[in-house]
Amino acid sequence: MRDMDDINDINDDEEPVEGEEFDLDLLEEELRRAAAILDPVPPELRQIAVEAFALHDLDAEIAELTFDSAVDALPVRGAVEAPRMLTFHAGGLTVDVELSAHGLMGQVLPPQTARVEVLRGPQAGSPLSTDAMGRFTYDEPPTGPFALRLRTGEATLVTDWLTV
Amino acid sequence: MDRAHVGALVRAAVDGDAAAWKALVEGLSPLVWSVVRSHRLSDADAHEVYQTVWFRFAQHLGRIREPDKAGSWLASTARHESLKVLKSLRRLMPTDDAQLLDRVSDDRTPEQSFLDLEDAAAETERIRRLWQEFEGLGERCRQLLRVLMASPTPKYQEVSVALGIAVGSIGPLRQRCLRRLRARLEARGAV
Repeated sequence: MRDMDDINDINDDEEPVEGEEFDLDLLEEELRRAAAILDPVPPELRQIAVEAFALHDLDAEIAELTFDSAVDALPVRGAVEAPRMLTFHAGGLTVDVELSAHGLMGQVLPPQTARVEVLRGPQAGSPLSTDAMGRFTYDEPPTGPFALRLRTGEATLVTDWLTV
Repeated sequence: MDRAHVGALVRAAVDGDAAAWKALVEGLSPLVWSVVRSHRLSDADAHEVYQTVWFRFAQHLGRIREPDKAGSWLASTARHESLKVLKSLRRLMPTDDAQLLDRVSDDRTPEQSFLDLEDAAAETERIRRLWQEFEGLGERCRQLLRVLMASPTPKYQEVSVALGIAVGSIGPLRQRCLRRLRARLEARGAV
């Protein structure tokens, strides 16, 4: 690794000389100030995070992400455009989702009707319905933060948030 | 933000206290942003990951086992989400750091306005140079220092989960990296 060479070619392991720790603390403090000027948290992002409190919902069950082809599958050579497959689990329910450049397709298992919302943030998402087989489709390819909210007969589920 | 209050704020937010939530966002946003920025994401990806982390935190709020360690939870989530986005194939855009250097004149932060008032062109130049040398460090040092730059200063436990390095190695690594940075500045006659 380049870094290791980088680090080792100076007086790394010398005992700190008197007053050095103080100097390094000052340097770190200067960096902190520089970051506040040159790379602060964008105010619009901070505002979105404040509004995200609306996503706090103790009644909704979280459907955990148990498979994500972006992480769990070996990349297929040349298959850059391959759809991303996601599986979520909550209680006895499974939600399979396939994301591609054309939008998303999903299915609730065991098959049942549900109302589905595609969430991009704290605001209400686009409402969809499943067919009798539990399948649903959405024509817009989601990008950015993404989750699904599902309302079945008995329960409300929200999938783990992820970035697509 | 007084980190001793984080646990109490989380518990209040779970009970529906929006002001407590806002205090958490104010106090821990710089940590989340620093962790995201320490990874080589494009600006657009960094913005998205930051949001995903907070959406996830809001969603999991009532289920967080150790509310006092919410900072570590956020840092760890920011790391995992950043790595995941880096790993996904379609995202091959490197960060354009040159743009960062131009922001001094673009975005008006309170600190920047202060600099204006002081008419501190020399100060601005010094900060630019500091940032340039920081950006020129090796990847490991750049990452560590970017996380340490969060305000307030992150705890070593948070840095550890943010970067996947042992708590015990942070101190020595920090010292090396700051020395390295100082050496670069000295070489440029910038100290």
